[in-house]
Amino acid sequence: MSYLTVSTLEEALTSLSDSSGKARVVAGATDLFLQDLPHSLVDLSALPEITVVEEKDGLISIGAAVTHTAAASSSLILARARALAEGCSAVGSPQIRNIGTIGGNVINAAPAADAAVALISLGAEAVLIDVNRETRQEAVENLYWTYNRSLVDSSKEILLRLLVKPCLGGEGSAFTRFAVRRALALPMVNAAARVKLENGLVKKVRLVAAPVRPAPTRLIQTEELVINQPVDKDTLKRVEVSAAGEVEVRGSQLRCSARYRQHLVGVLIARVLKIAADRADPGKAGD
Amino acid sequence: MILKTPEKFTRQFGKAESKGYQSPEVWSKVTGKAVYGIDLTLPGMLHGKILRSPFPHARIKQVDTRAAEALPGVRAVLTGAELENRPFGIAVEDELPLAADKVRYIGDEVAAVAAVDLQTAERAIKAIKVEYEELPAVYDPVEALKDEAPLLHDNFPGNIAWQREVERGSLSAAFTEADLVVEERFTVPAIHPAYLEPIACIAVNDPYTGITLHTALQSPDAVREIVARVLKYPLSKVNINGPVMGGGFGGRVYGNLKVYILSALLAIKSGSPVKIQLTREEEFTAGRPMIAAVIKMKMAVRSDGTILGREADIITDNGAYSAQAPWVSKTLSERNDSVYRIPAIKTRVRLAYTNKVPTGQYRAYGNQAANFATESLIDIAAKKLDLDPLELRLKNCVREGDTTVHGLQIGKCGLAECLQAAAKEIGWDRKKAGRGYGLSAAIHANGSLVFDKNFRGASALVRLELDGRITIFTGEQDYGQGTHAAFAQIAARALDVSPVQVTVESKQTKTAPFSTGALAMRQTTVGGKAIQLAAEDLREKIFKAAAELVGEPVAMENEVLRSISGQELELAEVAYHYHSATSGLRMTGEGKFVPAESDYDESGYGNISLTYSFASHAVEAEIDQATGELIIHRLVAVHDSGRIVNHLTARGQVYGGAAQGFGMSCFEGYLFDQGRVANASLADYKIPTALDLPQIDPLFIEIEDPAGPYGSKGLGEIVMVPVLGAVANAAADAAGVHVTDLPLTAEKIYQALAGWECEL
Ligand SMILES: Cc1cc2nc3c(=O)[nH]c(=O)nc-3n(C[C@H](O)[C@H](O)[C@H](O)COP(=O)(O)OP(=O)(O)OC[C@H]3O[C@@H](n4cnc5c(N)ncnc54)[C@H](O)[C@@H]3O)c2cc1C
Repeated sequence: MSYLTVSTLEEALTSLSDSSGKARVVAGATDLFLQDLPHSLVDLSALPEITVVEEKDGLISIGAAVTHTAAASSSLILARARALAEGCSAVGSPQIRNIGTIGGNVINAAPAADAAVALISLGAEAVLIDVNRETRQEAVENLYWTYNRSLVDSSKEILLRLLVKPCLGGEGSAFTRFAVRRALALPMVNAAARVKLENGLVKKVRLVAAPVRPAPTRLIQTEELVINQPVDKDTLKRVEVSAAGEVEVRGSQLRCSARYRQHLVGVLIARVLKIAADRADPGKAGD
Repeated sequence: MILKTPEKFTRQFGKAESKGYQSPEVWSKVTGKAVYGIDLTLPGMLHGKILRSPFPHARIKQVDTRAAEALPGVRAVLTGAELENRPFGIAVEDELPLAADKVRYIGDEVAAVAAVDLQTAERAIKAIKVEYEELPAVYDPVEALKDEAPLLHDNFPGNIAWQREVERGSLSAAFTEADLVVEERFTVPAIHPAYLEPIACIAVNDPYTGITLHTALQSPDAVREIVARVLKYPLSKVNINGPVMGGGFGGRVYGNLKVYILSALLAIKSGSPVKIQLTREEEFTAGRPMIAAVIKMKMAVRSDGTILGREADIITDNGAYSAQAPWVSKTLSERNDSVYRIPAIKTRVRLAYTNKVPTGQYRAYGNQAANFATESLIDIAAKKLDLDPLELRLKNCVREGDTTVHGLQIGKCGLAECLQAAAKEIGWDRKKAGRGYGLSAAIHANGSLVFDKNFRGASALVRLELDGRITIFTGEQDYGQGTHAAFAQIAARALDVSPVQVTVESKQTKTAPFSTGALAMRQTTVGGKAIQLAAEDLREKIFKAAAELVGEPVAMENEVLRSISGQELELAEVAYHYHSATSGLRMTGEGKFVPAESDYDESGYGNISLTYSFASHAVEAEIDQATGELIIHRLVAVHDSGRIVNHLTARGQVYGGAAQGFGMSCFEGYLFDQGRVANASLADYKIPTALDLPQIDPLFIEIEDPAGPYGSKGLGEIVMVPVLGAVANAAADAAGVHVTDLPLTAEKIYQALAGWECEL
């Protein structure tokens, strides 16, 4: 096995194309090292262009190799994309957050990956480049193939960054999860919301819950239900019923029954919508 | 020392600080220097690996080891067919070193290999071909007791490994007189002690010295005897040499006998040292967790809260082989009866064989599982009678001078004080709205007078070294619970020296005095008493020798040895004087602590222990009504363990034991799928993390008990016991409903709140 730590993107792309499918991209390796290792690994974690969080052209750009710890403590993310900071701080344990990356979280394609759930609620777009030097931009939710399989083939394509529209006046976001214990536990359910209020009514909303399907799942019916509604007790009650009713989930002996998980989807979606809406209070500047 | 040492490492502990004395062993652990069993290697050492059954129940038709033997690097292959078919066991003889004709659980040992490295050993295991004929299996202990259930062991009809029925007082009278009868069925899953270091053993076979096992055990002497018996070696040709132990919690009292016996057999067969180390998965699938239990319990109460009687029908789940499960079942079924003055008791307990992982013991020996049931039932009764659960407990709790329903003689007893202090500290009289409060009470023995009637006590040697320092020789093991620090303090106090002058040696069964082991909360009370006696014996010898040396009487005062005329003497001088006078001996004090025999009778009635420790815990909790999540805010742990020898380690015991209690209450438990352990990793078998623990406040009611050294009693096991009842009662108080199936997960609590049919 070979392990190459690259210092330029060009070097990374060249070594991937030279290995013609036998090399794979690695970042924190917290997921990859638990799987069958490929012939060679190309480590991106030293590439300056994919390890920064910055504001660019009115968007928040989050490098794919930004760690969960860095994202959770970034003042930009905390101020303008709070759901992501909360999602990242829920991952594993301090050790995992210190080396695990946002890009790895997305490409590993676990159905309830915490950062990915937050990103999808925020409407994040992924910027990718392949070995032919072609770039593309894709909504994060469109990168999933099936359970734990991404459409992105990391032997040919590199996720460079994630772009998020900042939550400004009248907009807020939030993430929450429910697990057996408070660290080192995959969630029974996690949920995230982004909401825009105008005159106290919901104008735009994205509600995401997982694990429901292979990809973190938007709850479209529930989103429609809250449009033009105030986020009050009555709406939240209806959101809870609607969200639980909208999903079909699986149960597992290790985590919880399907019925309980479905119930939790309702509770968590209502909670996370409420928190996001409180943060969207136009009196405050965003999250 | 030539190297200058930073001041913080040379801090001396005088008397004033001695209650917070920390033994140097702690430093080597926290700085990563300690050498554990898994770290050890020896020159020429081979690696052993065990082939395990993939079936829960099957007949072995054929084992073909030829391919494994042919692999380069393989030095020994062992199968059950090569071994004498003579079962061994701890409480019940039902195990063979390797299965000969039948496997009884997924993980049962079928063959073992030793090879030059682990990879080769693993490859060799895979190369062994076993032909099985699958048999019907039974997984549920209640099912296992039915007539039609498949039989695991031909010589244990009805799948009963052990059973007991006992009645004391008149239960029918109790139930006739009762104003209220409460009844519930409680279930507790199998629990793994989850010590951090998996069990590892290097066996060395030497024609001159015999077998040496390098492995850390809580009861090396007991294991040594079993290994010698199985191997048919003379006892003096088996020695256990203990490296630092990475946690035990009862799980390493006998550890994993298969590992010790198979590494020894492989060492004998291959002629080289052999190391077997369990993987974490093997720890879960073929270790020795504590038994699961189904406890049906019924209690008769008068309307004023007086407990009149209690009846229990208990089925414990043995798994495929017994280890200590019969003893654990016994403690589980009766120790709790002595917390309160209960005039009539009737208990039936049956230990059932099932096709699952065999079981052993865990800290508190099932007393905590029973605490969950009995203390829940008390709160259920209190609620029905509209009585304060604290008052109900105070009305019934045992007190000094009592003889309990099973004949335990209660000496010094601060149980009522513990209850009052726990309630006061948690805010029983000013409960916060929206919060639930739970109390519980416990008793636990301090060593056993009846477990082995010939070994009721302990012995120790305390030696004066030539440099004036002190060495204690004891068979009592320390694996983090602080026993050796306490021993150093006890000897230091008897000798009037600083505890830093004292070193404790316990690692070699060949040279250490015999001990029944680090179990049954006996070490401080029983082991410590022997240390005190040995140190006092040495002190007299020192005085005698010193007086000879200076020609006048001497005394020790404030750590200085002085003659009546004021001449100061170094302990080293006295040591050397004795050494030369005897041409080489070192002055040694002997301590033999032999408690009087108990009146314990055939029916199990009588006093079983020198004295008893008591505790009451109180919990403040909250429930998220929407999810069922149990949020525990605080645990107050009040203990009567006599005078506390070392507050630092005592608090440490409470924090750790409470954490394990929370684990068992809310998180842990084996999950099975057709006999296969479904959560055989620390990722899936969820012990609580630091974030999951509430504030834990230890309090000690320091009632001096003359039974133990300097008024002290045991603490190590009882710390876990009352957590279960207190958590369950606080949860029930907050939820308005009792969940009777451990662990108390959010899902189960929510199901109870929502009135769902239980799906788990
Ligand atoms: C003990 C433990 C606990 C965990 N707990 C959680 C948890 O609570 N929540 C959670 O969401 N996750 C959890 N994880 C999973 C994991 O830590 C995260 O998914 C992490 O974000 C993965 O990032 P990484 O940098 O380590 O990815 P890696 O392991 O390096 O890579 C993962 C995959 O992504 C690909 N990849 C990585 N970077 C790129 C890139 N820039 N372009 C293209 N492909 C790329 C790799 O080829 C690989 O296929 C846990 C993991 C462990 C070991």
